[in-house]
Amino acid sequence: MAAIAARRGFGFALPALALLVAFFVMPVMWLLLRSVTEPGLGFQNYATLFGTATYAKVFLNTFMVAGIVTVITLLLAFPVAWALVILPPRWSMVLFAIVILSMWTNLLARTYAWMVLLQRTGLVNQILMGLGITDAPLELVNNLIGVTIGMVYIMLPFMILPIYGVIRQIDASVLQAASLCGATRWQALWRVLLPLCVPGIASGVLMVFVMALGYYVTPSLLGGTSHMMLAELIAQLVQSLVNWGLGGAAAFVLLVATLALYALQIRLVGLPKGAQ
Amino acid sequence: MTTPFLHINGIRKTFGDVVATDHVELKIAEGEFMTFLGPSGSGKSTTLYILAGFQEPTAGDILLRGKTLLKTPSHKRNIGMVFQRYTLFPHLSVGENVAFPLRVRRTPADEVQRRVKRALELARLQGFEDRMPANMSGGQQQRVALARALVYDPPVLLMDEPLSALDKKLREEIQHEIRRIHQETGVTILYVTHDQEEALRLSDRIAVFNKGRIEQVGTGPQLYNSPASHFVADFVGDSAFLTAEFTRASGGTADLRFADGTEVRGVPLHGADPKGRAELMLRPERIRLVPQPGAGPSLPVTIADITFLGNVTSILARTSWGEEVGIRLPFGHPMASGLAPGAQTQIEWDAASAHAFAARAH
Ligand SMILES: Nc1ncnc2c1ncn2[C@@H]1O[C@H](COP(=O)(O)OP(=O)(O)OP(=O)(O)O)[C@@H](O)[C@H]1O
Ligand SMILES: [Mg+2]
Repeated sequence: MAAIAARRGFGFALPALALLVAFFVMPVMWLLLRSVTEPGLGFQNYATLFGTATYAKVFLNTFMVAGIVTVITLLLAFPVAWALVILPPRWSMVLFAIVILSMWTNLLARTYAWMVLLQRTGLVNQILMGLGITDAPLELVNNLIGVTIGMVYIMLPFMILPIYGVIRQIDASVLQAASLCGATRWQALWRVLLPLCVPGIASGVLMVFVMALGYYVTPSLLGGTSHMMLAELIAQLVQSLVNWGLGGAAAFVLLVATLALYALQIRLVGLPKGAQ
Repeated sequence: MTTPFLHINGIRKTFGDVVATDHVELKIAEGEFMTFLGPSGSGKSTTLYILAGFQEPTAGDILLRGKTLLKTPSHKRNIGMVFQRYTLFPHLSVGENVAFPLRVRRTPADEVQRRVKRALELARLQGFEDRMPANMSGGQQQRVALARALVYDPPVLLMDEPLSALDKKLREEIQHEIRRIHQETGVTILYVTHDQEEALRLSDRIAVFNKGRIEQVGTGPQLYNSPASHFVADFVGDSAFLTAEFTRASGGTADLRFADGTEVRGVPLHGADPKGRAELMLRPERIRLVPQPGAGPSLPVTIADITFLGNVTSILARTSWGEEVGIRLPFGHPMASGLAPGAQTQIEWDAASAHAFAARAH
């Protein structure tokens, strides 16, 4: 019975599998191939990538920006997810709509909106100066601050939703029990709520970190030249320098890093829901 | 007058238009096992939650040793609670679950170890320290919850239908454990259930809840033998109610006339304003079957059904005006011999074992 069902399920999956091979596996293999064949056979592209200080700095910077973005996103997303669960249905629906709508709005449009808001004469600087928090306008774009703000904003829904998923499944009486056991709000948060949220936090963190590692639009529009990220480097190598070998190598390193992180998550907290 | 150990003083709680509890008034002695018994939605949990500090009463007060509890947040009330649903912390082992209340109190490690060991012994859970809750049965989980609630020696233990998710056999087994733990620890227990058998088996006293109010408080035998209202009589134990007419009512007794003209005199009377229509309550084990009317009150009936239930025989009789009366006899009792459905006979009872109530408005 089970075997038949499994085989039939596999049959349905065949067209999808074919698509995956055609549009995903083949281009990746092709990139990998070019990275070890251009300009000559061998691993010299990888040696260049890891051996050159400029490129190494891009790698480091990419992981740093992705890390900062992930941490800030997590800190902001947790209270929002919590609010989505405990607010009265009407308010949580409004909040949900805001979160989802921001996901559906065009990425470029949202990034340009941040450019306008964050520029020297933008709304954010005007408010800060109006409130007397600062005298001169702050540099909020074309640097790390701009990239971080823009990316955190875009990543938030991807962190909020998985955390919301786990919090919603926590039985309120477990927290009541913690309280009667003598736990203060903080103790209940640290000792009960957060540990129970770990699967959601882990998948949110992984998703955001991985997406941030490969992000292109926001860093290139809101970031400066001093904090180049890997995707920008790849674009430059391929578009301006037409160096497919080096570009392919960088892309492949990014892919391997991503897969390694995914494997780590599976080791630590198991497969994401639905994949089991 | 001495201050009661725990005083639930006129608690009222409303949710919008819904009155969850109304003037709940109860004095509980130290070490007492008090059960809240009542149907769904009668306000039992609400009362317990107010004690736990999860909800604030609209009016009234909770006094522990004469001091109000209402200003103390629930994590400082030092009250223990076992919930209806399983509320163990799923990411912690059994040992760490039981240690949790001590850890948040920053108890020294050696004392934590000593107390956890003692609590696990009390709940007969030695050797389960390292199990995860997910790998335990429902009954075991509730025992862990019990150990967790008792490990910090709370003055009061609240239990909100802790056994309702378990099957009957396991339920009885854990009822036994709860009784033993109550005797060993002497902790004051407030226990919620809608199962009258459970209430009778466990409690020193029972408070019968109905529509947010306490109808009667008393020991099991008190509730059974002298129910204060139709509701209590109906809820505690099996009983038959026969409609009748008051012909006299005064001084705690009443005379009644049935629809077929039969009269009974001197029935113990409960409740006020006994005019007009009456209800006579009969317990099934207090009724005798006799061929001819004797000295006591009696009524002609037709046997409708006979069921053998192991050690007892349950007989259903029908009055001439169509109301049904259950009778319970020990298996093989001579009164049941030779009876068959359709037989004409008499039911007879002692005047003092029946109860008269004013008929409820329907
Ligand atoms: N948070 C709430 N909001 C609105 N109404 C509530 C709330 N909690 C309880 N009630 C209402 O108060 C009444 C009493 O509820 P309560 O939970 O105390 O009953 P209960 O005796 O414990 O019943 P059960 O045996 O079903 O647990 C019910 O009518 C219930 O619908
Ligand atoms: Mg309840």
